This record gives sequence, C-alpha cells and structure tokens, in this order.
Amino acid sequence: MTYETVIGLEIHVQLSTQSKAFCSDSIQFGSAPNTQVSAISLGHPGTLPRLNKQQLDYAIRLALALGSKINLRNTFDRKNYFYADLPKGYQITQDAQPVCVGGEIEVIVEGKPKKIRIHHIHMEEDAGKSMHDSDDPYSYIDLNRAGTPLLEIVTEPDLRSAAEVDALMTTMRQLVRYLNISDGNMQEGSMRCDCNVSIRPLGADYYGNRCEVKNLNSMRYARKAIQYEVQRQIKIVEAGGTVAQQTLNFDPSTGVTTPLRSKEDAHDYRYFPEPDLPPVVLTEAQVAAIKKEMPDLPKEVRQQLVTEYQLSEYNADLLTVEPEPARFFLALAKATTSYDAAANLMINKILPWSKEEGKPLTALPLSYAQLAEFIALIEEGKVSNSIAYQELFSAMLNAPEQSAANLAQVNNWLQSDDEDEMSNWVETAITDFPDKVKAYQSGKKGLIGFFMGEVMKVSKGKADPKKVNQLLRERLG
Amino acid sequence: MPKFTTFADVQQAIEQGELTTVNIVDYYLEQIAASQDLNIYVEVWADEARAMAKQQDERRRNGEQLGRLAGMVISIKDVICYENHQVTAGSKILEGFSSLFSATATERLLAEDVIIIGRTNCDEFAMGSTNETSIYGPTRNAADPTRIPGGSSGAAAVAVQADTCLAALGSDTGGSVRQPAAFCGVIGFKPTYGRISRHGLLAYGSSFDQIGTLTHSIEDTALLLEIMAGADDFDSTASTTDVPAYSKVLGESKPARIAYIRPALEHPGLDGEVRANAEEFLNKLRTQGHTIEAVEFDLLDYIIPAYYVLTTAEASSNLSRYDGIRYGHRSTEAENLQETYQKSRTEGFGQEVKRRIMLGTFVLSAGYYDAYYARAQKVRRLLLDRLNEIFATYDFICLPTTPTPAWPLGESLEDPVAMYLSDIYTVAANMAGLPAISLPSGTHESTQLPLGMQLMAPAWGEASLLAFAKNI
Repeated sequence: MTYETVIGLEIHVQLSTQSKAFCSDSIQFGSAPNTQVSAISLGHPGTLPRLNKQQLDYAIRLALALGSKINLRNTFDRKNYFYADLPKGYQITQDAQPVCVGGEIEVIVEGKPKKIRIHHIHMEEDAGKSMHDSDDPYSYIDLNRAGTPLLEIVTEPDLRSAAEVDALMTTMRQLVRYLNISDGNMQEGSMRCDCNVSIRPLGADYYGNRCEVKNLNSMRYARKAIQYEVQRQIKIVEAGGTVAQQTLNFDPSTGVTTPLRSKEDAHDYRYFPEPDLPPVVLTEAQVAAIKKEMPDLPKEVRQQLVTEYQLSEYNADLLTVEPEPARFFLALAKATTSYDAAANLMINKILPWSKEEGKPLTALPLSYAQLAEFIALIEEGKVSNSIAYQELFSAMLNAPEQSAANLAQVNNWLQSDDEDEMSNWVETAITDFPDKVKAYQSGKKGLIGFFMGEVMKVSKGKADPKKVNQLLRERLG
Repeated sequence: MPKFTTFADVQQAIEQGELTTVNIVDYYLEQIAASQDLNIYVEVWADEARAMAKQQDERRRNGEQLGRLAGMVISIKDVICYENHQVTAGSKILEGFSSLFSATATERLLAEDVIIIGRTNCDEFAMGSTNETSIYGPTRNAADPTRIPGGSSGAAAVAVQADTCLAALGSDTGGSVRQPAAFCGVIGFKPTYGRISRHGLLAYGSSFDQIGTLTHSIEDTALLLEIMAGADDFDSTASTTDVPAYSKVLGESKPARIAYIRPALEHPGLDGEVRANAEEFLNKLRTQGHTIEAVEFDLLDYIIPAYYVLTTAEASSNLSRYDGIRYGHRSTEAENLQETYQKSRTEGFGQEVKRRIMLGTFVLSAGYYDAYYARAQKVRRLLLDRLNEIFATYDFICLPTTPTPAWPLGESLEDPVAMYLSDIYTVAANMAGLPAISLPSGTHESTQLPLGMQLMAPAWGEASLLAFAKNI
C-alpha cells in the first residue's frame, strides 16, 4: 500500500521586541542566566502583567502578510501547568480568541508553488529554559527567556512531506525577517516548531491518528524526525495496528522519537480568561496605520526586481532570500541605472564580503554613490570588468575615503584609449604568433579570441576590448 | 474610646504642640503591647515607625513641607507588599519572604508621609471569614475575645477597633474588609474594582480583589482613597477614570433614593435582631428625608455559589506560583521536581487554602468548565445587569453587612459552607465590582456585639457614597 504523509505545524516565533510580553525586562539573547528577570518575570507575589503593545502590532503585521482575519478585540487566557521554568504556574496565551484567524502562505516545493492554509495565530509568552544534564541530579533554570513574546502559527494539515515542512519553515523565516518582527534564528530558538504527523492510504479522505513531535529547533532535526515518525507509523499500520495519539520527543542523537505522554495523560491546561489583562481593542484605523507602515514582502520585492529592474529570475531570487540584500539592492538601484551590473556586483562582491567578514551589509564602508561610481567605470569602459572585480573593489574597501576613479588612476588600472599604445599591444601580440596569424588568415576566425587574450595579457587588462577587437580585425584582415 | 477618631484631630494635636509625632507612634505602640492577647499584628515595625516619626518631627521643626499624611499611623494587612519587608499572607508557604517592591497603594501613602506601624494578621491568602485560617493563629474580637473578628481582614479591623493605629489597609474579595468592620464596630470601605491598583496586593481572586480601608471616620476613608486611587502602569485593570478630591466633597448630601433588597431582609439566615437593627437604620434614613423603597431580587441564592466557583477558579491559578522553586517554603523531604511541588505545597498551605485550590481546579477541569465556571460567569453578568437596573432608579442599595453578629471562635472550622453563606450580603459588590461601605449601626442586644449596615453605590460613585455616609 502507498501512504500519504499528512503534517500540520505549530510554529513558535519569538518576536524581536525590545522587552518582554508583559513587563519591561529585556529579551536580548545570550545574556548571563537570570539577569533579565524582574519581580514580574519571576512571578513574585503581587506582580501583574501589562501587555507590550508592540507584540500586538507585530501580530497584525503577520496577519496582514498572510491575509488572515484580524480580531480587533483581543483577550488573553491562562494555560495552567506546573513546571520549574514556568514562574507563575501558568502561561498567558490566547485560547478563545486568537489575534489572527485563517490566511495562507505560498511555498515553492521542487519548483512548484503550493499554498498552505493557516488555521490561526495567537500571542503568548515563552517559558524559561531548563538545563537537565549539566550537573546531575540537579537541573538549572534560566528565566531570562520567561515572558518573551511569541506568536504561535498553527497551520492546517496541508503539508505532505518533510521537504514541504522545510519549504514552509524557510518561507516563514524569510517572511518574519522581511516584516522585522523576528530574527527567525532557529539555532538561538527564535523559531521552533512542533510537527503533527499522521499517515493515511494515498487518496483517503480521512485523517489518521496524529502524533505531535515537540520542539524541533533545526530543519535537519525536523526532517529526520518526520522521516522516522512516518516509517514508524507505517510499520504499525502495516502490522495491523493503530497509531496511538500521543506527544513525542525527538532525540537528535539517536534519530528516534519516544513518547512524552499519551492522549489519556494529556495535560488538562484548565484554560480560563486572564483576569489581570482587560481586552485590548484595536480600531480599523490602527490596523490601517500598521498596514501603511508595512515593509514590502519578499514576493513583492522579487517581482519588483524582475519587472521594474529587469533582473533575471535567478538573480532576483538570490537577492531576495534575505531582506537585507533586497533592501540594499533597492537603495543601490537609486544611485545607478545599471541594474544588472548592480546585481552582479552585489552577488559577486558585496554579499561574499558580508559573509566573510561576518558583518551586516549596512557595515560596508562604501556608500551607494561610490558603488555606483564603480559600476559606471566599468560601464563606460574606463576600467575593465576583470580589473574592476579583481583589483579595484578590494582597493576601495581598503581606502574607502578615496574615489573609485582616483584609485584606478593611481594604480594605473584605467583602460587605455591611446591609439598608439593600443596599436603597440596589438602589434606585439601578432608578431609573437606568426603561425596563428596564418591560421586566422586561412579561415580560423575563432582565433580572434586568442589574440584578444594576448593583448589583454600584454596590456595587463588595460586595453579597451572593443577597440582591441576593432584593431585586431583591421590588422589581421 | 479611641484617642483619635479622625486624622484632622491628630494634625491639630501636632500643630498645636500638644503632641509630637513620636508621642503618637509611642501611644499606638503601647496600645499594641496592651492588646497582645488579641493577636493583631504578625510583625510590628516599632523602631522604623519611631524613626520615621522622629524624622517628621525634625522636618516640621525645620519648617519643611510635610506630606498630606504626616503623622498618620496605619497598619497594612499581611497581603500588601512593602519593599524589603516581609509579606506572608498568613501562610507557611511564604515564611520568611520579603517583597522586592512596594504595592502602589503603599508607595502612594508613603510618599505622603504615612507611618506604617506593622502588618496585621489575616486568613491565609485572604481565604476565610473569621481570621482563623492564618498560620499565626486566630485574631480575637476586642469587643469579646471569645469571638472571631471576622475576616479575612479581621486583624486589620481589630487594629482600628483596639486603637493600635488610626487606620488600616485591608483587602476585600467578597467582603473581607466590610464584614470584619461590621463585627468590630468600625468603618470598612471597598472601592469600585479598578479604583486602587492591585500591584503589590497578593492575589486571591484577581477579578474581585480590591484594597480597602478600615477607619473610625469617613473623612479618613476619603483621604486615604483619594491618595491611593488612580491609574497605574503596573496594573492594567487599574482604571484611568479621574480621581476626585473625595475628602473635599463630603460637605453636603442631597436627599437620596435608596433601595433595600426585600428578600435580603426576609432571608431565613438573617438574625432577628440584625433585621430589627436594619429596619431601625432604614427608618432613621427615612426620617432624614431620604426615600426608602423595597426592590425585588431573585438572584440572592445564586450569588454565593457563583462567587465561590469564580474566586476559587482564579485562586487555583493565582496560587500556582507558590511551588517551592524560587521563594518561600520548600520541603526538605523532596527527591525530585514532582515531590518538590507536592510536598512543599502540602506542607505550606493550610486546609482552607487547599480546599479552595482543589475546588477551583475542579471547576476549571475539562468537561466541567461549562457546568461551573461558564455558568457562574453568567450569574455574574445577570447580577451586574440587575444591580445596574436598580441603580437606574436608586442612588444606593442598603443591606445589612452580615446576617449575624460575630460568632464564637472555632465554630466555622467545623462547617465551612455555613461560613461561606455568611458572605451573602457582601459578595454582590465584588461580583459586580461596585463600591460599598459598612457603617457601624449599633449593638446586637443579646450579645452586646457591634453590627454594621452596608451601602452600595454604582461604579465610580465613591464621592456621593462617602458624602452620603458622612451626612447620615
């Protein structure tokens, strides 16, 4: 029998707000344990939550990007459970009325677009972190993360493979980065997902019992966990059994999922309305204001690069994976009209520079005007493409206070337009290879390329290729 | 008789040089020492209070401007935070716990130079109507030490009754300020929900809790309210509604239309002498030119069950934070996380608190939520609608504060449900979030115990309620 995999995701996105969801503690990643904890974060007696409105704005941004219905009246609920890293003994979340309902996101899987429906998105606060294995039998608790604002995005069971999960997570990460609402960094836990996995015979119109695999904090683990889980479920069904609905933990070291709790042992979270937070009511005008300030979405930017700036689909893709290169390109495109050249410069020089230096694009010491000047020098034939890329760009990085033209001048990289000099280079190339001249003249016109190369070698790249070509043809006849 | 019945008298004595602030603090400290057997205070901050008084006297001599409450000595209930001072909610689970911050109410009073003399005993986590569920043992009624003072702010009421401070801060979730005020013969006032910030008030039922005051005079009630009330960044449920100068508008009161709830006065649980006292009170108002009319009310018997469903639900969640992990009592017997929770909470909480946590956990459980919590919320809504309907015609609603006078110590530990039912007249104000005040209304003849009558006003009607009460 052939089986179909059915997957729904619960994606947790940590928001990049200045402070926590319900108090003013910082949420900066990587601080010493338990240093970003006020009495409120610690759940001390007498403390109360206060909503960070930025969290709501961010949720609205995501809702607008996904075409979700926005709940203007937002209420909060308490989800009650005991755990050592949950200071209040409950988590503030939205159970009855999530901020966003519905919506969809398009992903590209193996070159084809597919729409994944969103069930809802709700706001909640994160718990702290527990570290169990460093000093057995003790566990260590870090409450810096406790109270960090999260959006939980719950999809419909529309995914059919690990590859689709991968595509969705990548697209979602791209989206939250464009929206400036999260850094989407899975290693630091800014994005995590729980996968609800089930199988059914291909073509069946029912769903199988699902298992929830918890806390997958990298795409590699998610893929492995799903592959393992699908095989496990198929084995059970093939053997005539029924998959038990349960919550599973994935162990990356063994690649195996193990039961955390069964349906019968499922927590009873005793949700009820959070009495400490009155409903927050948004107006249509507030939503419109958020909409007005919305950054462009990746799809829109990519489209703009292709239609308005006439970039190839390939280059447009490369430049829009992350929001920073796309924004950089759009700014650069205001300083030059040679868009293709600007794209090439970014892809071949600027992006690799950022990667090697480990610095953001905004840290590039060169202004858009300087980069435009660099492009113009090539376009106008003043510096050859190869010299520009091999020499001039590095020289500019080392001396950002100097103009590109000046650097080319000082280093003797300007292409020569001196007729005599050019004739001399051509003459040298021809004199050195009498055999090739004969061959050319007897019909091997392809050798023009060889002579071009020789002239370039002799001129150290300074010869203007157009003129050289013209001179060679005249000279070789 | 108390040495001072209003803060104005205290100010006059200081200004005319009859007494220093230190003299006043010393007087109250002597009163505290003389009333040890009533078990009012769980901690007295004698040195600190004396130092504050001394400093105030010096500042006064230097001609400095002092705060509006300079010379006022108050106590705070053991559920209200005061920075670097212990707060334990009368519970073992918070033994030794010091607060890192002051409640907004405490802070605003301190900013006006109030002197806090100590923290008063109370029912554990304010759960009780008798002040007997405290880990520190029961507080006794000064009118008859064999009797309860009421609760949960029982000791706060006795603190004022026994003249150990001029005023006391309590908290009122279902009558916890008004009921002990009635039992102890003082004024007990609970404002509109959201009038005073709850930041720094240990939560019992978050959508019911309000800080309230126990005083000898309406003037002091008004002054304290005026200073504590108002919006607060640390409590989203604290209202931004303007705070009138309550103490300045006590001068006159127009003839009012007052409703009394007929089924309340005909309730089988109502003591005959209490009923007679209530009728006498209503007659007095009538002779003062106010209109007094009976209204029908068919929700009376639903209020208590709905109240206990909702408050215990909230409490079961509010008290989850007391888990032995970050602060408070942690069992030394626990071997793992689960045992840390179970043993710390088993050892730390008393019987009444456990009963309410279990009840609240039950009513929120899957499969029971709709039958209990959701229905109780509907009762709450109906009650609010009905009270608002009455307030469309009437200025105030008048009720006895309690169906009986204070009962003997130990009695209600046997029968908690009977104790719950004794809150019948006070919980409506909390369910609907309305301001209410209990005024001394005389003596219960056969026991010679104090009695109180209660006036309830529409939301944010504190100014007219206090003015009316002042002019009775």
